[in-house]
Amino acid sequence: MRGTTFMKIATRIAARLAKAAVVLLAILVLNFLLIHAAPGDPAVVMAGEAGATDDVFLAQLREKFGLDQPLYMQLGKYVWDVLHLDLGFSYRQQMPVFDLLMDRLPATLLLTGSAFAVSLILGVAAGVLAASRVGKWSDTLISTVALLFYATPLFWAALMGVLLFSVVLGWLPPFGYETVGSGFTGIRRALDIAQHLALPALSLGLFFMAVYSRMTRASMLEVAQLDFVKTARAKGLSRAVIERRHILRNALLPIVTLAGLQAGQLVGGAVLTETVFAWPGIGRLMFEALTQRDYNVLLGVFFVSAAMVIVFNLITDLIYGIVDPRIRAQ
Amino acid sequence: MKRILAAVVASFLAVAPSLADPVAGGRANVVIQPEPPSLMLGLVQNAPAQQVAGNIYEGLLRYDTKLNPMPSLAKSWEVSDDGLTYTFHLQSGVTWHDGQPFSADDVVFSADVFLRKTHPRFRAVLDHVESITAPDAGTVVFRLKSPFGPFLNSFEVGSMPIVPKHIYEGTDFATNPANNTPIGTGPFKFAEWVKGSYIKLVKNPDYWDQGKPYLDEVYWHVIPDAASRAVAYETGQVDILPAGSIENFDIDRVKALPNTCITQSGWEFFGPQSWVWLNNRQGPTASKEFRQAILYALDREFIRDSLFNGLGQIPNGPFAGSTRYNDTDLKPWPYDPEKAKALVKASGYKGEVLKLVPMPYGETWMRLAEVIKQNLADVGIKVEIVSTDVAGWNQHLSDWDYDLSTTYLYQYGDPALGVSRSYVSGNIKKGSPWNNVEGYSNPKVDALFDTGAGTVDPAERKAAYDAVQKILVDEVPNAWLLDMGMPTISRCSVKDLVTTGIGLNDGFKNAWIQK
Amino acid sequence: MKDFWHRFRANKGGIIGLALLAAIVAVALLAPLLFPGNPWKMVARPFVPPFEGMKFPLGTDTVGRNVAAGLAYGGRVSLLVGLVSTLAALLIGIPVGALAGYFGGRIDDLLMRVTEFFQTVPSFALAIVIVAIFQPSVVSITLAIGIVSWPPVARLVRGEVMSLRQREYIEAAILQGLSTPAIILRQILPNAVSPIIVMASLMVASAILLESSLSFLGLGDPNLMSWGYMIGAARTVIRQAWWLSLFPGVAIVLTVLALNLIGESLNDALNPRLSRRRS
Repeated sequence: MRGTTFMKIATRIAARLAKAAVVLLAILVLNFLLIHAAPGDPAVVMAGEAGATDDVFLAQLREKFGLDQPLYMQLGKYVWDVLHLDLGFSYRQQMPVFDLLMDRLPATLLLTGSAFAVSLILGVAAGVLAASRVGKWSDTLISTVALLFYATPLFWAALMGVLLFSVVLGWLPPFGYETVGSGFTGIRRALDIAQHLALPALSLGLFFMAVYSRMTRASMLEVAQLDFVKTARAKGLSRAVIERRHILRNALLPIVTLAGLQAGQLVGGAVLTETVFAWPGIGRLMFEALTQRDYNVLLGVFFVSAAMVIVFNLITDLIYGIVDPRIRAQ
Repeated sequence: MKRILAAVVASFLAVAPSLADPVAGGRANVVIQPEPPSLMLGLVQNAPAQQVAGNIYEGLLRYDTKLNPMPSLAKSWEVSDDGLTYTFHLQSGVTWHDGQPFSADDVVFSADVFLRKTHPRFRAVLDHVESITAPDAGTVVFRLKSPFGPFLNSFEVGSMPIVPKHIYEGTDFATNPANNTPIGTGPFKFAEWVKGSYIKLVKNPDYWDQGKPYLDEVYWHVIPDAASRAVAYETGQVDILPAGSIENFDIDRVKALPNTCITQSGWEFFGPQSWVWLNNRQGPTASKEFRQAILYALDREFIRDSLFNGLGQIPNGPFAGSTRYNDTDLKPWPYDPEKAKALVKASGYKGEVLKLVPMPYGETWMRLAEVIKQNLADVGIKVEIVSTDVAGWNQHLSDWDYDLSTTYLYQYGDPALGVSRSYVSGNIKKGSPWNNVEGYSNPKVDALFDTGAGTVDPAERKAAYDAVQKILVDEVPNAWLLDMGMPTISRCSVKDLVTTGIGLNDGFKNAWIQK
Repeated sequence: MKDFWHRFRANKGGIIGLALLAAIVAVALLAPLLFPGNPWKMVARPFVPPFEGMKFPLGTDTVGRNVAAGLAYGGRVSLLVGLVSTLAALLIGIPVGALAGYFGGRIDDLLMRVTEFFQTVPSFALAIVIVAIFQPSVVSITLAIGIVSWPPVARLVRGEVMSLRQREYIEAAILQGLSTPAIILRQILPNAVSPIIVMASLMVASAILLESSLSFLGLGDPNLMSWGYMIGAARTVIRQAWWLSLFPGVAIVLTVLALNLIGESLNDALNPRLSRRRS
């Protein structure tokens, strides 16, 4: 029994991975074409950074980075390289894109991961609270605040956060990943990073916190009307037990779906957050790469973030299977 | 007036060497914006690379605020009477950061081999050079083909950085792994670079100039957002804000903070001037009357006061105020919308919409484009702003695909180095946003610029350049906006930071922190 | 209809939202009457603080432009971008969803792969790239927002169509020999319209947010005054002139809030059974 269930899950994962690989390849090709359609010759940009230029210099740069080849040759080479896990070389940063991404990825994962956790935990908690006191003032308060957060632009929230907590109150550092040159190690360093993380993670998580709390509330209220909950009530189970075992568990299903979708949004939102907070992650790297026409880096960021979304979706899928017994039985 | 006076006093105070004795030790925290692509100054010479690596590498000369040469790796020099032979005597006891001895061979290799291949601006200087030789380990001789007026202005660290021959000879310069750990002769050694975060330089204990540098280490912080950079100064994370680190709107607030000094000195060598490219080839801007109308229509004082925080001077023509041979008799054109309207009419303008491609270097430049658009709308000229990023802007200019575009360029103190390149017809070439992009072509102007560059006699040069300025100011190939003021903001306790016309680019050699 | 209005009215939020939106639309429409000329005109000295007289009730900006005028004209742009980009998203999403849901099988598979593709690429990042490539203008921004926001529409429509497809009246229509386009357009879609309307009202809101985010990064249309642009431009002076980023920010929050409130009430009024979809 256990074995077959496991086999089923494994098959599902394999099928999904195969599909994901196709999607990933399509993303690679489409992005490649899209990005190369952009006006702006990377050689000219690089030359521009040198502050002066002449034909010799431009030709040298083009040859060095293979920009003198026809587009389909460049595409072919790129796809071939990626299949060998080689994401190419960054024109501007003078290092392999893979290394560059690995340098920056931890910061983004930390930021998005914290934002995800914060929004999910606080959002669901607020939603449960509101649902259990539906119609009371605390419900009204939570719902109103959620509605406001939901309507607030992320960058605006971030700026106002900096203004209030860093400039006026001086509680939190306004930007950065850690105190540079502090020489902190171990716990001290972790605390330092956590302090820097607070504002970015909160402002990035704000929107989804609102989404989760609204969704949890609505979902809980809906499930509470279903027959099996009424039965449980009739059986005389305590309110807390019903809420936890019956309502919340079922109400979580749509939230799990949404959480999977959020992953992709977070990476995009990271562009804004990382810019405002000078967070050294891949979101900022992407925006810089775009303005510098550093194609390989840009493609690499898309590749990695798409891969992240796929992994998140896969995890969502698995969790879904655990939370919802019906899917597992299928 | 008061503001100007204050600025003058402030700059005087900052430039004058402090009277107290320097003390050794301490760390400087500096903003670097944007993050340089590389610190190998022989390969990359953009502004941030020069600012950091100018303290790792050295040139043969430095320049004071009046642009007179000062010793650096060369302790003395002579120019022959015919202006064809330049002899440099090098400092003794100089070693590279890896311990190898430095000699005249390194200079010859740098100039003749390395930079000839990698440095477009220096390559233009090399066109005038016949030979570079090292008669002995302490002497380098440059022989010129013909006299070149500004030759002695070409030896600062950004124009001609000296790179180690023993590391680069016979290698592919661009891919040499040593590029990631630059080795120079300068007062600071490269220590660490955490990309996207900071660059750390440490004191070179074996520096040839005994006793210097005073600082133990210099951290260059990468902070991509201008507002965050201002906050970094306020909260004490950085102590030095090079020009351009923070938005102009923020300068007044930041400079009013306690223990804060501001200077506009340290940029004389570069003398940046901003202007509006006018496409002289096609459309309404091909007409001289129309171009003159534009210059009359721009409210340059308003632009300076509200966008550039009152910093800088309204230029009287194509020569920046700090550039040699600027004709001080010329007066800037006044803001005169009525005259502009009349000239627009006279030019036969039929309401075509002009494409304005603004330089995408931050908020100030976007606001500038908006003000230009409105100024021109007020005299009946229709403008549409095409916004692009740096790559797109470069492309528009390189392909001459624009009607109006904003920019600023360095003049390197001498018209032959930094002015003529934007006006001589030999420099009309697609593919670069830094040459004669506007397509102005006038044989008389070409000849006069040639005369000015081809002699070392100051009087002859002045005569030629006076004549050039008269012609250009009348023809308005570009609409000159501003000789830009470049404020360096720092804690007052950081002393002797800006002591030369190159400013921060090699400023940490002398800098020290008062306890 | 009367029934609908009755149910809509039952939700206080919906009424508040409607009133808010009406006020915002009115100001936007009347902008040329309220503030003759154009919002770019430099009318006073820079940085006049708000509430210092009736002439510039909301103050002036970095180069002396009237903030109130900017807000009024900006409302036109924000609303227009929100509306048109939502229409664009619907124009892509509805056909894709309808075809996938109606035909199922391979077509469904293919279309859903495409949808998945667009959901896998981080949407904001894709929008940035599209705008940068086609150069920032109101057209490229609208297009980019439309392109990144259609997948949810497709999924919603597909789900609706799939369940409607099983209904008896559709089977009957097929047996009657009605053409497939006729069935989809006349029989199925009209019955799926309620959830689409609800979703569309929420999409306008998120499109306005997206537009402001693009402008914040400097990717707005430089020839049009929009709220997003105003905040982007004000961000560097946030500490000298708080009002420059506050007022447009409030305008965005109010508009988005109004649209959300309306969307929710619509949801309650149109399809109570679907209230779960609300997010």
